[in-house]
Amino acid sequence: MNTESNTRVSRRSLLQAGASLALIRALRSRPVRADVPNGYRIVAAPTRASLAGLGNPQTEVWAYNGTVPGPVVHLRQGEPARIVIENRLEQDTTVHWHGIRLPNAMDGVPGLTQPPIKPGESFTYALTPPDAGSFWYHSHANSLEQLGRGLAGAVVVEERVPVAVDRDILWFLADWRLTSEAHIASGFGNQMEAAMSGRVGNAVTLNGMVSEEEPVRAGERIRLRLVNGSLARIMALRFEGHRPVIVAIDGQPCEPHEPEGGRLLLGPAMRIDVVLDMQGEPGRRYRVIDDFYDGLSYWLTQLAYGEKPPLRRHPLDAPLNLPRNPSPDPDLVTAERHELTLQGGMMGGGTMIGMGGMMGGGMMGMGGGAAWAINGMSMIGDGHAGMEPALTFQRGRSVVLSLRNQTAWWHPMHFHGHSFRVLTRNSAPVPHRQWQDTVLMAPRDTVEVAFVADNPGDWMLHCHVMDHQVSGLMTVLRVA
Amino acid sequence: MNRTTRLAGFVALVAFSTPAIAEPIHAILYKNPQCSCCEKYAAYLRHNGFDVEVKPTNDLAEISSKAGVPERMEGCHTMFINGYVIDGHVPVDIVRKLLSEKPAIAGITLPGMPSGSPGMVGAKTEKFVIYAVTKDGNAPTVYAAE
Repeated sequence: MNTESNTRVSRRSLLQAGASLALIRALRSRPVRADVPNGYRIVAAPTRASLAGLGNPQTEVWAYNGTVPGPVVHLRQGEPARIVIENRLEQDTTVHWHGIRLPNAMDGVPGLTQPPIKPGESFTYALTPPDAGSFWYHSHANSLEQLGRGLAGAVVVEERVPVAVDRDILWFLADWRLTSEAHIASGFGNQMEAAMSGRVGNAVTLNGMVSEEEPVRAGERIRLRLVNGSLARIMALRFEGHRPVIVAIDGQPCEPHEPEGGRLLLGPAMRIDVVLDMQGEPGRRYRVIDDFYDGLSYWLTQLAYGEKPPLRRHPLDAPLNLPRNPSPDPDLVTAERHELTLQGGMMGGGTMIGMGGMMGGGMMGMGGGAAWAINGMSMIGDGHAGMEPALTFQRGRSVVLSLRNQTAWWHPMHFHGHSFRVLTRNSAPVPHRQWQDTVLMAPRDTVEVAFVADNPGDWMLHCHVMDHQVSGLMTVLRVA
Repeated sequence: MNRTTRLAGFVALVAFSTPAIAEPIHAILYKNPQCSCCEKYAAYLRHNGFDVEVKPTNDLAEISSKAGVPERMEGCHTMFINGYVIDGHVPVDIVRKLLSEKPAIAGITLPGMPSGSPGMVGAKTEKFVIYAVTKDGNAPTVYAAE
């Protein structure tokens, strides 16, 4: 792989010149499954990783069990799991099990749901995942830096009955800001970035390395689990010559459908499961292109067809529907309704009373405090004791939240402890029965989501652009 | 190729290609791909006879910091003219003053996005203070006010 890698650098440089740091990767096997079902021991510690590919300078990272991303945590639907996290960092940490409906004390928000895990200490997360699907875990303490240095991994909760595909593949996508020496650039918490699109990086890795190609076989049906573990980078993925069918969003099965314009819009923290019937030609390569940011399109990897003849003549006839998860359906007739308005940031137009997007010649965020707010209130940081809930719901109530993005920026809004059904976007019904835990909002979007407040506790709702979360785009909702 | 070499390349290119008198002054403006007020600033400079090349980038923080602009003094975009960095919504008269005086500094910045500044919406509510920045770590000094 090393010799091959060297020849790849120049070509990739040409393709990516001006867009991002040119990096390459060599193939790498998936982390192996633990011997004990539903039992894991994961150590958070500094280490080094070959983000740029073997034969290139290594990068100092913070990692779970020494790999970036951390080991895939395989759990089984409805079966209790225990995951011990040992902190060998030089600072406090916690782990958030993103998208998994679990007891509040296992949610991993420092101060709010548990005391932080101090250096040298351990914490056991005990949970029983009710839903099958693609989830992920990541640090929720000093999260801008800890996630930005690598503390994240995927959780796969397996269906009780296996889904009919030839291969089940996971692409954990992460975005890094690297210097020319492949170090992680300093400058976490830049205030200008906090008030704009956050710390978008310059090197995107697939399962921990910049990817040149991923091997596929003609005729096979792949379930591809996409996880966007980036701090801030939004992705819009197109698969040249292929027609991915979305079968689940944020781990929750939806009606199978092709994305609008063939583009998979994947905000930070979102997951999309697609089914791909590999109908390309043996021996050919097809690029996977991310063209979300205007003028900064690049290719993430290539689907590299082997020379073997097609596995089958026609695409598999098996249905694409995944078995539904047991999320309770909200009762929209009796549901209580609330509005949460996202405010602030650059070009905010002064929409916030007392702390407008521009004020007194400066702007929100430039003074070292909050850059954003929800309903006029800015909660900053990663979670702490005494966060007053913005709303309190009686347990079992159906709730409709109208999320209004008054800002000029995109926000992937994540709600802890629940999945919500996305009802409407800008008054238009959202089709395909989409349940999510993170909904991506374009500037000025209004999105209505609904859920049953059936999980008691104080739950965070925040933007998953980490710079936005820590500078005010966060609130707490209580289920009492 | 990395950012440093690319940036050095641009600076060198601009420095050695002294334009003839009638030709417009060439500027390269780096901006966040999702920020629209930077486009309005570019249009403002073009209207004033500059030739502005706009380059979207997600590396704005790195570019401005390497050019000598301290984090707390950043504008929302970073421009290079004749080897100088000009950060934020600096009025054109002050840009011209910099280019004719040719001081021994890295460049100038108008921090933040002041209401009513060129390219920004709203009314001017206060004096714009433009700071001179250097690469030697010295504190920025006031270069001009308007």
